[in-house]
Amino acid sequence: MGEKKTSARAQEANQRRILDRATRQRRLNRQLEALEKDNFQDDPHASLPQLAKRLPQFDDSAEPGKKRKKTRGDHFKLRFRKNFQALLEEQNLSVSEGPNYLSACAPPSKLPQRHFCAVCGFPSSYTCVSCGARYCCVRCLGTHQETRCLKWTL
Amino acid sequence: MTTLVLDNGAYTAKIGYSHENVSVIPNCQFRSKTARLKTFTANQIDEIKDPSGLFYILPFQKGYLVNWDVQRKVWDHLFGKEMYKVDFADTSIVITEPYFNFTSIQESMNEILFEEYQFHAALRINAGSLSAHKYFQENSSELCCIVVDSGYSFTHIVPYCRGKKMKDGICRINVGGKLLTNHLKEIISYRQLHVMDETYVINQVKEDVCYVSQDFYKDMEVAQLKGEENTVMRDYVLPDFSTIKKGFCKPREEMNFSGKYKTGEQILRLTNERFAVPEMVFHPSDIGIQEMGIPEALVYSVQNLPEEMQPHFFKNIVLTGGNTIFPGFRDRVYKDVRSLTPTDFDVSVVQPQNPICYSWEGGKLLSENPDFDEMVVTREDYEENGHCICEEKFDI
Repeated sequence: MGEKKTSARAQEANQRRILDRATRQRRLNRQLEALEKDNFQDDPHASLPQLAKRLPQFDDSAEPGKKRKKTRGDHFKLRFRKNFQALLEEQNLSVSEGPNYLSACAPPSKLPQRHFCAVCGFPSSYTCVSCGARYCCVRCLGTHQETRCLKWTL
Repeated sequence: MTTLVLDNGAYTAKIGYSHENVSVIPNCQFRSKTARLKTFTANQIDEIKDPSGLFYILPFQKGYLVNWDVQRKVWDHLFGKEMYKVDFADTSIVITEPYFNFTSIQESMNEILFEEYQFHAALRINAGSLSAHKYFQENSSELCCIVVDSGYSFTHIVPYCRGKKMKDGICRINVGGKLLTNHLKEIISYRQLHVMDETYVINQVKEDVCYVSQDFYKDMEVAQLKGEENTVMRDYVLPDFSTIKKGFCKPREEMNFSGKYKTGEQILRLTNERFAVPEMVFHPSDIGIQEMGIPEALVYSVQNLPEEMQPHFFKNIVLTGGNTIFPGFRDRVYKDVRSLTPTDFDVSVVQPQNPICYSWEGGKLLSENPDFDEMVVTREDYEENGHCICEEKFDI
């Protein structure tokens, strides 16, 4: 039984990991979520101890007025601490009638998708086989494979 | 009796008494690397000498008010003795909220305005409604207008007919100034210099160098040229906050096309970034957001309205919000809408002098309207009837 000869290029193609559509979509969603972030870095105060809160409050039981205000604050936190996703779910829009937050979103464009090189941003004609990113020339493909392909750094 | 008008945006608050002028003030808190232990509120940002690595704490998430403790700190600052010294018992407030605001946010807002601050009266309204009010006041012969409000969190397209908002035509594109800045940050960080922490600086870069292309693929070609022929290319000098307080573009005659600068400044070289970033409001699909861009969404929104009204909308397109300030924005919207509509329709796109404060001006006008007292809910009304009186009276 003789071994079948395969070209070097085909061999390489077999070794290369190819992401399926679902994974590509997940990666895209992650990128889009990152674009919604208010800050990239961590809160510079995060590592600091919360001095004011750690200190024992000796005199807060003395004044009944002050105590009332404190419970009000707690009530506030419970009632007003909701994130966007919780609010959206609470509103239960999928069953409500008439225009609402979900129905107002612009539909997909009827124009054809345009493609730009993931590295340099100029119009691109080629697609990376592994991850589906676009590139415009061999140089950009090299940069892409070294830095971004199958890994996501930023 | 005085009226305070507050266009409560996700990034800046446009605030002022109706008999005075407007101020644009950050509607958020900041923390700086250099001033540890201190949180800066609203216009205290001016005290920060070195805003590199500035950390933002915003009361809004995706355009909706969710972080009430931050919002209250900002409002305490705005209403308090540092700034507007509001005499709550003798002041009415006109305050804006986003389209399709959530019920629980509206109720929290009522509670805070009437119970915590105890304003004499309040009017909650969409910022676009104020813009439309101003537009109809200035152009009294027009029956309809369609407001494009492109802000920090998203872009809304809202048709108004005789002062009434047409809910069926409202269209939202999830692209706003924050996304543009973050995208610019991302591509600069990947291509030349790590600036992911520098939201403040890169936002300034965006405002200084970005523009809307009139012929996208032609500009792409020009941006690829080498040397002097590349008229798109700019070298942006980054601030170091000691000798250079604010970044700026190198004047063209001082640009060094061949190589490095001898001076020690940090330079960003920008080519296609300049117009590819604002292009995202025209083609969100360029970065994978499967939504229509502004011109297409405008036409889509109008086409869903009664046929006899359609020509009136195309004739009265009003651009508001900070994103519309990019050079070339108005012309591009006109050009694209023109090419998407039948030739027998007139198309006219209006960009007010100050698109950021246009709705505030509308609020000022509204507070001088003889019907204004009928539109507000007073504290007595609220104490008598609770949230339902607000729901009844406010056109939200």
